[in-house]
Amino acid sequence: MAAMLAERAPLPRFFSRGALALVLGLYTIYTLGPFLWLATMSVRTTAEISADHYAWPKVFHWEQFRIAWVDSDFATYFWNSTIVVVGAVAVVTLLGAAAAHALARYRFRGNRLVYGILFSSIIFPPQITLISLYQILVDYNLYNSLLGLTLVYVSLQLPLTIYLLEGFFARIPQDLFDAAKIDGYGDLEIFRRIVLPIGMPAIATTLILNFIQLWNEFLFAVVLITDPDKRTLPVGIRAFMGDHFQDIGMIATGVMISVIPVIIVYVFFSEKLIRGMTAGAIK
Amino acid sequence: MASVQIHDVRKSFGGFEVLHGVSVPIEDGQFVVLVGPSGCGKSTLLRMLAGLEKITSGTISIGDRVVNDVQPKERDIAMVFQNYALYPHMTVAQNMGFSLKLRGADKSEIDQKVNRAADILDLRRLLERFPRQLSGGQRQRVAMGRAIVRDPQVFLFDEPLSNLDAKLRVAMRAEIKELHQRLKTTTVYVTHDQIEAMTMADKIVVMQDGIVEQMGAPLELYDRPENKFVAGFIGSPAMNFLEGTLKVNGGQPWVETANGAKLPITAAPAAGNDKAVTYGIRPEHLEFADDGIEAEVVVVEPMGSETQVVARIGTQDIIAIFRDRRPVAPGDKIHLRPRANSAHLFDKETGKRVN
Repeated sequence: MAAMLAERAPLPRFFSRGALALVLGLYTIYTLGPFLWLATMSVRTTAEISADHYAWPKVFHWEQFRIAWVDSDFATYFWNSTIVVVGAVAVVTLLGAAAAHALARYRFRGNRLVYGILFSSIIFPPQITLISLYQILVDYNLYNSLLGLTLVYVSLQLPLTIYLLEGFFARIPQDLFDAAKIDGYGDLEIFRRIVLPIGMPAIATTLILNFIQLWNEFLFAVVLITDPDKRTLPVGIRAFMGDHFQDIGMIATGVMISVIPVIIVYVFFSEKLIRGMTAGAIK
Repeated sequence: MASVQIHDVRKSFGGFEVLHGVSVPIEDGQFVVLVGPSGCGKSTLLRMLAGLEKITSGTISIGDRVVNDVQPKERDIAMVFQNYALYPHMTVAQNMGFSLKLRGADKSEIDQKVNRAADILDLRRLLERFPRQLSGGQRQRVAMGRAIVRDPQVFLFDEPLSNLDAKLRVAMRAEIKELHQRLKTTTVYVTHDQIEAMTMADKIVVMQDGIVEQMGAPLELYDRPENKFVAGFIGSPAMNFLEGTLKVNGGQPWVETANGAKLPITAAPAAGNDKAVTYGIRPEHLEFADDGIEAEVVVVEPMGSETQVVARIGTQDIIAIFRDRRPVAPGDKIHLRPRANSAHLFDKETGKRVN
């Protein structure tokens, strides 16, 4: 009887393992498929793509990347995107962490009021602020400038960042701060040497989210930037879409160029991202 | 090492006063335990001693120095926290040497002091680990190591054992006591566990609602509690309380309960005849006696070394502890006699001791 059970037991497990693998496999194809398709298109010309949408590239037109980078000003767009997004993410991360720490740790009058106002700004869709932001930027001579767009990006991402980090920072035990005070740390050092290192998983999570969000941001960029040489990547790619003709090959190449930094940032911070997501489970 | 003087200290949060003028003298090298139910102000008092809370009024001195306005790091104290408060991104050795590093000590001095503390606490092989790789007991030892490394005038402990399981708690209790006997550093220890207080303290300070109810040596508090609160708080199982009135007939006084049971006492207190009192008797001061008070057994708890019996007198439950094994079962009628010379009498209204 025992032997029979022993023989029969692995079967359901085999099936559940197999089913799991099947589901994961299908899901991978489902999510990775479009990306691979796009990757093949990026080395095919628009004419080839029109002839057969799904064909494997017969000739790999790597020169498309050079054309996009040099002739189609992608180098400029890429550089603009980098300045704006890296600048905005750096400011958001530092300012957001500092604000979150203050809200999580210090008792002061109006603490919850400030928190409430910040939180309420998350609720509204960003489009609502578009027209007023446009007007403000025009008034302050920041319209059609990378600095202006950076500031807008900071204001867009700051509330959610503070909200996420506050939740994480509030869970750091008060004892740790008391111990640091007794050890001889001042307020700023506590933030820099205790909160930042301990909050790193959460900070890395917001960093990735903000980076991806802003790197792909189109709406504010297209409204607040007019000069072609100040375009960011998502707006630059849009330039290949004419009213009558769409240069699919070049669009695919541009998208591939724009995707690469996202992948790099993600891979670099993803271990920390996962740790941040599971932070509640490990004490 | 230093003496500590807490003199008429008050603390208010907003308009709400939580400590109402607390004075505690602590001698050099003494192990003082602040004990009381949660919310009694014991942790607030400790945090004020550490410099983590401001003092509303009164003075705290460490040695000859009033420290009211001295920063925590300059008070020459070390504190062990309930949640250990180890820096998770530092190794055990870094955690322990951190305060010295901040003070600008050179590396060889830090290493030497860390190693010495690690030897005392048997942490040598854990020095390169991170706190997350340690068990609860090990983390607590590291927290203590961090305190030892500072070589402070005063150790402060804030409920350091309450996150540990029962067995480990007993072991760590002995370890802390041994450590104190070895280092002889003045120690202030906060706990809500009266057993910890009894077993470790040179002096216990019992607090309730922001005032000191009584302070003294553990057995002094156990044998002669000044009021009903201390009597009920110190000792486990807790002292039994029976409500009654004081009767004196000729030279022989007793306390009579509502259902007519007569509880013996040795001498008539100053309080007069017919005064409403609370009669307190510890579980181990009840004996079987044929002429005792009749009680019905409710629960029998054999512990091996002793037997606890919950019995009902009238409507009141009392607990008795017996060293010998008696064949009693729930529902049995037994007769219990309190030892007259171990009885405690408290004023029913004020709770103050009257005998």
